[in-house]
Amino acid sequence: MTHPPSLKRRVLTLALAGMALIWVGTVIVTYFDAREELNEVLDAHLTQAAALLIAQTAHDIEEIEIEHARPLHKYSQRVAFQIWEAGQLRLHSANAPATPLASREQGFSDSTVEGQRWRVFSSRDASGKVLIHVAELAEVRDKLAREVAKNLLYPLLVALPLFAILLWLAVGRGLRPLASLTREVASREPDNLAPLPVGAAPAEVLPLIDRLNRLFERIAASIQNERRFTADAAHELRTPVAAIKAQAQVARGAQDTTERTHALDSVILGCDRAAHLIEQLLTLARLDSLQKSALESCELQTLAVEVIAEMTPLARQKNVQLELAEGETATVQALPGLLRILLRNLIDNAVRYSPAGTQVQVRVDRENSQPRISVSDNGPGIPVEERDKVPERFYRPLGTGEQGSGLGLSIVQRIAAIHGATLQLAAGEAGRGLRVTLLFPSGDTSSEHRRLE
Amino acid sequence: MRVLAVEDDALLGDAIQAGLKQAGFAVDWVKDGVAAQHALQAEPYAAVVLDLGLPRLSGLDVLQHLRARRDATPVLILTARDTVEDRIKGLDAGADDYLIKPFDMGELAARLRALVRRASGETAPVLCNGALALDPASHRITYLDQAIELSAKEFAVLQALMLNLDRVLTRTQIEAQLYAWGDEIESNTVEVHIHHLRRKLAPELIQTVRGVGYLMPRAQAD
Repeated sequence: MTHPPSLKRRVLTLALAGMALIWVGTVIVTYFDAREELNEVLDAHLTQAAALLIAQTAHDIEEIEIEHARPLHKYSQRVAFQIWEAGQLRLHSANAPATPLASREQGFSDSTVEGQRWRVFSSRDASGKVLIHVAELAEVRDKLAREVAKNLLYPLLVALPLFAILLWLAVGRGLRPLASLTREVASREPDNLAPLPVGAAPAEVLPLIDRLNRLFERIAASIQNERRFTADAAHELRTPVAAIKAQAQVARGAQDTTERTHALDSVILGCDRAAHLIEQLLTLARLDSLQKSALESCELQTLAVEVIAEMTPLARQKNVQLELAEGETATVQALPGLLRILLRNLIDNAVRYSPAGTQVQVRVDRENSQPRISVSDNGPGIPVEERDKVPERFYRPLGTGEQGSGLGLSIVQRIAAIHGATLQLAAGEAGRGLRVTLLFPSGDTSSEHRRLE
Repeated sequence: MRVLAVEDDALLGDAIQAGLKQAGFAVDWVKDGVAAQHALQAEPYAAVVLDLGLPRLSGLDVLQHLRARRDATPVLILTARDTVEDRIKGLDAGADDYLIKPFDMGELAARLRALVRRASGETAPVLCNGALALDPASHRITYLDQAIELSAKEFAVLQALMLNLDRVLTRTQIEAQLYAWGDEIESNTVEVHIHHLRRKLAPELIQTVRGVGYLMPRAQAD
């Protein structure tokens, strides 16, 4: 089981570990420092003791009656001396071994005699006959240094838990704004997207609140958009359903076959229309929730040929001539499936609003290296002042008698935006009809796997 | 009764026209707000079925203009907008009734009949004058407790007269209630219908005001 990393625990661990590390470092340095100082002081004591012994022997070695000196202090057990004369051990302390304490005859040396480590100072008297070894157990020095270090460590053992408690409280207090933020967010109703109160939030938490508030804003806008779309969609479906119901009731009450057939045909037409509207709504909804996906290289001319072939039966049915004008080849980075939907919608619109016997022309070419595809018709066109409104959802041009879903250009607009292309509406050839142009960004075609924004 | 249907949706407009015709109305159908305004200024309609989301001029604008002209023609709003605010806005703009799509054709016809009845000051659904009774919903006529068979046009003429008791209706006024645009109007048709009505009911029920038109006097209470 893994816990998410706790900020409090991390701060605490880091601070305590850092503190312990520094303290232990201090102890180690102090330990070595103390040892060195001790060495010097005690070495000095050794030389002093040796000097005293030499002075003593010079006067009257025989007068020293006791064979070995009595221990006068607890540490004196650790200090030993030997006085040698002509290879004979003349005098030594009780704790001194029988063998010489050092092989050296002058100065400091470290030796191990009978399993004990000694620090020895050796010296001869002025006559040179008497050799004196004054020694101290090395263990004493180590022990002293350790004592010093230990005395430093004890406060740490007390201070560390104390410090930990203080730190725990301080961090907890410092994180209180986060905790209250958490409570505030946790207790929210899912539809409450009001900004979080900035209040007395500290500088570290402010950016978080700020970002959260901005996120709430975006989500609110998106939900608003979705709600409006759902409402629009439901509203738009009411009319076709009303038409179907009304026509069905007319059919039921019809007096003669002609009237009934006409009404029933209208019912079927109404169903087709509602189905088309639903399909377009679904397309639009899918486009709205489209996630990032990879673009592919897409040859517009080829794509146009495919879609024109697909749409020709509809055009023939309306006696409209659908053709691909001579143009250039142009490759764009696109989602071919979406481009096909786009082109299908443009051609469908053009054919739908074209009078019988006229032409709908699709052309692929470039404008200043920008690939473009355009569809022109000879229909009624759209007045300049209304052109901005066309891509709005559920806009239908007036007086055409045609029953589109009002969504075609919304879909086209959305797909264009996905591709970074711009949609232009203008009058068609010779100022008649409508020409819808889709202008793609001048693609650098090398980046085959460019990803969508 | 002649009504105006204002609906921009071709299928629905067609259905309203056909359905109301089946219910005995003469129906004119226009597809945008401007056309609706022209029609309302030109023709005397018994009632208007008005969609709100209209091209060129919204249904609410049409309604407001109509009321600004002090035209009290009953208006039924037929719309997909169903929020309470929308309904309040519609009624406050001068609508007499409000029906949400999708609707029932029978209900639309019934509401129109009710609107027309209220506009004429009648309270009973069945129009009565003495021994004569006319039920607009079932298209049944009884006179002296006898069921009388009338053609649709004869029924409409009789209804127009009964809705305007003691008032003279000109031949043109009666004609306007009988025929929608595009209907073939036969000459002397009103005279023919009046003649038939007098024969089927009683001659004294409908009086002729020479050179002006016809009138149905209110029967004296017994």
